[in-house]
Amino acid sequence: MSHDTHHAPVASKLDLAPERSDLGLIRPDRKTGWADWLTTVDHKKIGVLYGAFAMLFFLVGGVEALAIRTQLARPDNDFVTARMYNQLFTMHGTTMIFLGVMPLSAAFFNFLVPLQIGARDVAFPRLNAFSLWTFVAGAFVLNSSWLFEFGHLAGWFNNFSWYKSLVYTDFAPANGWFSYAPLSGTVGQADAALHAPRFTGVGTDFWIIGIQILGIASLAASFNFICTIINMRAKGMTMMRLPVFTWMTLVTSALIILAFPAITVALIELMFDRQFGANFFNPSAGGQPILWQHLFWIFGHPEVYILVLPAMGIVSEILPTFSGKALFGYPIIVFSGAVIGFLGFAVWSHHMFTTGLGAVPTAAFALLTMAIAVPTGVKIFNWLGTIWGGRIRFTPPMVLALGFIWMFMCGGFSGVMHSAAPADAQQQDSYFVIAHFHYVLLGGVLLGLMAGLYFWFPKIFGRMPNAGVAYLASGLVILGFNLAFGPMHYLGLAGQPRRTHTYHAGNGWETWNYVATIGAFILGIGVFLAFANLVWTAFKGEKCSSDPWGGRTLEWSLTSPVAEYNFAQSPIIAARDAFFEDKHGGRRIAYENDGGEAGVHMPSQSWMPLVAGFGFLMIGLGMPMMSMGVPHMGWLVISGLVVMFIGIWLWALEGPGGYMLKTPALGSTPSTPTYTTARTH
Amino acid sequence: MSQVSEPAHAPTSTGIEHKKLIMWLFLASDCMFFGTLISTHLLYRKLYPTGFTDAEGHQRFIQNLFNIELTSFSTFILLMSSFLMALAVSAMHKGQIKSFRRNVLGVIFFGLIFLGCQVFEFTHFFHQGLTIQNSVFGSTFYVLTGTHGTHVAIGVLWLILLYFYSFTGKLGGHVGALDVEVAGLYWHFVDIVWIIIFTAVYLVEYLGPSGFWGTGLPLTK
Repeated sequence: MSHDTHHAPVASKLDLAPERSDLGLIRPDRKTGWADWLTTVDHKKIGVLYGAFAMLFFLVGGVEALAIRTQLARPDNDFVTARMYNQLFTMHGTTMIFLGVMPLSAAFFNFLVPLQIGARDVAFPRLNAFSLWTFVAGAFVLNSSWLFEFGHLAGWFNNFSWYKSLVYTDFAPANGWFSYAPLSGTVGQADAALHAPRFTGVGTDFWIIGIQILGIASLAASFNFICTIINMRAKGMTMMRLPVFTWMTLVTSALIILAFPAITVALIELMFDRQFGANFFNPSAGGQPILWQHLFWIFGHPEVYILVLPAMGIVSEILPTFSGKALFGYPIIVFSGAVIGFLGFAVWSHHMFTTGLGAVPTAAFALLTMAIAVPTGVKIFNWLGTIWGGRIRFTPPMVLALGFIWMFMCGGFSGVMHSAAPADAQQQDSYFVIAHFHYVLLGGVLLGLMAGLYFWFPKIFGRMPNAGVAYLASGLVILGFNLAFGPMHYLGLAGQPRRTHTYHAGNGWETWNYVATIGAFILGIGVFLAFANLVWTAFKGEKCSSDPWGGRTLEWSLTSPVAEYNFAQSPIIAARDAFFEDKHGGRRIAYENDGGEAGVHMPSQSWMPLVAGFGFLMIGLGMPMMSMGVPHMGWLVISGLVVMFIGIWLWALEGPGGYMLKTPALGSTPSTPTYTTARTH
Repeated sequence: MSQVSEPAHAPTSTGIEHKKLIMWLFLASDCMFFGTLISTHLLYRKLYPTGFTDAEGHQRFIQNLFNIELTSFSTFILLMSSFLMALAVSAMHKGQIKSFRRNVLGVIFFGLIFLGCQVFEFTHFFHQGLTIQNSVFGSTFYVLTGTHGTHVAIGVLWLILLYFYSFTGKLGGHVGALDVEVAGLYWHFVDIVWIIIFTAVYLVEYLGPSGFWGTGLPLTK
């Protein structure tokens, strides 16, 4: 066949013969149904897949949380064993952070960033698909540990020799989400098989390789997004005209590429300790477990901002829309976000105040931690300035966004309390800390992300979520959340330690633990209701217009759902909030004379990102099983490496490919906007 | 390739091609990666300045272990490979495919010499009694230099694939030059990282009368 056929613009990819790569492999660019979703390189579909997986894992992590709260409802409870409890809280934290919040943020990055900057896709569409499938592989590896745990509880493994030789049988990770060494590591001398005695079971190996794979997914996605935002802006879309959500995506991605290497190295070192008898964190051979804490928190504190900045970006889009005003102090909000990202690297040791750092480092980290409250507070005041005097519409996203400000502030206040090192020494490892970071991560981040879901769902699916159910769910979430985590402030100050599977009666903790459990179930019902409403909307919701909220940014200028080429003609931007000003004032958007009959370039779909991701899955499942002593698992790891290499190699050989797709004609739209000086680049 | 309008040709907001920009971003991330590994090594070196204990329980000094002449040689080879890489990129920009092939073969050859020296060094140190298990120094040394060696090996593999790809006739023009240049960025970075490792891990052991850490052997063995 001739490649020339692909030069002619077509109205649909189905008009073309299937494209072949140089090796004769057929590109899956005519697939429909499930194969279309598995091979898609469309950032919007990838965003939807990220969102679907994230919501699934939110529910998994939520079930784990409810099991924890059920266990703690009464003193001396035996709903779960201590060993199971350790696995539950570890997997709850890990799931919520790495499989819930981060991918849900990534769903928004994927869907929105190209639309907000006036681009037709991300810079590297197949790399984007690779990020998605690698994330799915890492998530599967982490959660497959539960299958082993349940198999062990059900007695399936009793006849296997590898099972009989295991010392520890916690198959799911059980070290807490930060897996402190030496608990996660080794002690004493390595034997002939290079294994030093360990403190924990193979759950830690699942955790190490799972987080490593998720890190690769996050890194690849972040390189892609920075490249997209810096390099693919529409003409006139200067950096200071970028929507705030896109700005926060940029800052978050920068944090990811600079923070994840620290945990990558820490995980490699821990893996060498466990698998090959190295001594990085082995105290009996001179290793310093505190190094793990430093390396982990050099990643772990920026991670907090990786979680919260996207939600701040979402709220910065929602508040102006429903206040009928431009965002108050746009440059200050953007700059504060960047300062938060920068300072985020300089405060890690406030997680380690009780380790005896010495007076000077402790004072320095306390001061820097207090300093980071300043740009955060600036943002809060800017949001208040935005809604001040506005014509507020209390739509479901607005209610959730206002809830975000309120709840996030509570979390911020208790955060500043932690920055005072002497006070922190009292609060360390108590329920006060649990209360603090749940106000930040749930009251802040989850409310922000839910607001974003309800705000952009009409754009994603062209259907409007049921408002009544949305208000009810929002009310249940905010009420249940405060009932669950408000009392934990008191419980923590009254001395209840975190990560402890039960407590005795008579400490005065019974009432508030019971209240917290009731609150947790109300919260769980609320989140489930909110998600169920969204799933129902995606399939059966009432159809709505393309701009139901009176939006301000470019994505609202497009049809709902958005066409696969995004923009039939590339926009030229002449103002911040150009779409809003265009609707209500002079012409702020013009269109380039591209697309139309000449067509726009659409990349071909590909199996290769999925193949490479599958290689990671084989590696990720093989390594912990090798650690268990399951025979032949080394071969699974090697096969996984080969599959990954073949996937990447064929990916490189097949090239981006693609075809020219006709888009609706330009019409009579003038080709220059009439506002300020439209800088082309 | 069958792409019609090559995406790399599309004008970008900054004028920098996507592929080049994403490689710079990857290298920024890799800086933090090696920074963390090198920090780990230096922290432990300061904490345990007296070397390591071998399998027989003898206290061993780093200067007695290292073969600084050999490592200096392999460092020089890696530096020269960067020079050849620059020539290969330049040839590609001028469309001189044969010159590109010659130079890139040189890079591959020098890269393999470097890897060979590292394999020899690891084997030699292992027989001298330094293992990944018997000391913190062994752990940090092997993991740090081994990670760098892995980077070199990936670079060699990449260049070998580019070399053979050039015979298909599809490596050419602006896109081909860009692909080679991006590989070149990676290669130069790996080289620069080695200069830092060579300084921070090897050379400092020979600073002053008893090494930078103050408790090594005097230079006269």
